[in-house]
Amino acid sequence: MSLSSRMIIVLTTVGLISGGFLAGVAKLTKERIALNIQAEIEEAIKEVVDDAEISTVLYEEEGLVIYRELEEDGDLAGFAIQAIGVGFQDKITLMFGLDETLTKITGLTIIDQKETPGLGAKITDWNAFLRFWEDRDATGPLSLRKPSVHTPEELLATEINSITAATISSRKVLEIVNLSLDKVRELIAKGKITDEEHDGN
Amino acid sequence: MATKTIRAEYLKGLWDENPVLRQILGLCPTLAVTGTVITGLAMGLATTFVLIFSSLVVSSIKKLIPAQVRIATYIVVIASFVTIADQFLKAFFYPISEALGPYVPLIVVNCIILGRQEAFSSRNSVGRSLIDALGMSTGFILTLLALSSIREILGAGTFLGYQVMGPWFKPWIIMILPAGGFITLGILLGIALTIESRTKRS
Repeated sequence: MSLSSRMIIVLTTVGLISGGFLAGVAKLTKERIALNIQAEIEEAIKEVVDDAEISTVLYEEEGLVIYRELEEDGDLAGFAIQAIGVGFQDKITLMFGLDETLTKITGLTIIDQKETPGLGAKITDWNAFLRFWEDRDATGPLSLRKPSVHTPEELLATEINSITAATISSRKVLEIVNLSLDKVRELIAKGKITDEEHDGN
Repeated sequence: MATKTIRAEYLKGLWDENPVLRQILGLCPTLAVTGTVITGLAMGLATTFVLIFSSLVVSSIKKLIPAQVRIATYIVVIASFVTIADQFLKAFFYPISEALGPYVPLIVVNCIILGRQEAFSSRNSVGRSLIDALGMSTGFILTLLALSSIREILGAGTFLGYQVMGPWFKPWIIMILPAGGFITLGILLGIALTIESRTKRS
């Protein structure tokens, strides 16, 4: 057998065996991986919308998903917005909640980030950052409070606390939320999101 | 080639031919994921899995592979095991997989693995290749553990996530940043070379 035929046969065989093997592994793990991603999103929703039990995707585009959240008995619990945007180091994926009237942010959580450990990564810290996101005004753009304050009560309803030594990361989170809120307001104006649709009144 | 005892074949990976400290291979994951012990350990174990199975396959089929396409064949074999490791972590250890990010797929280009196929498994029996892979993996894991323990303890005051330093301790954040990886690796390499030159002299 010529050398070139041997090369072709060996590479093709190795490629086919490995491809077949990987297809099998993908089949075995696919469902579990999808469940993991789903569980991560559900957990994030529960952190930002109280009593959220039943999720429906209302709107979806690149980097933005809006969920309507119902309580167990079918009452509207609020809305959850999952958004992806550019951070200081890499993309930040976050989830924030809106109340039933779409006028107030109920909370925020970070799903994925690669900010500087020990500094920008504090955007995932409850005490340093996340607790300042409860009860924020969602009717207009939010602004960053700098220098930072110690308690949420010191902030205006339209303000977000910055993290000392990590202003850029905190500002990036704020920008992602502000951009998403712009989109939400645009969708409300177009009538694509309403707070009343669930029971038709 | 002089035949080593099985024991010597295994032990060489721990010190004399330690992939990181003596061969200076696989430095990308060594620097990138040793900010915490758990990610360092996970990377070590994933690399071990890929190295062992790649060595087994390559040493079993070495006589069938024409020399001209050997590297391409090794890469296909290695990439397959890396994909399996990546899928497995995503399915069963999702948080660790998220923390390791792109560094699991990047095991494909870890020179320790390709290097061992080219330098060892393609010239030795299946049994010896397995011992070699086990030794190199142990050396790699131990080095990652040393590096990540130093970085996590000094950089965060924790070990495997548990607080080990008292409240008096102010974490040296630089240790969990990339610079801390280079500093720690440099110090470990310095120590390894000093020990080596002293044992040679004596």
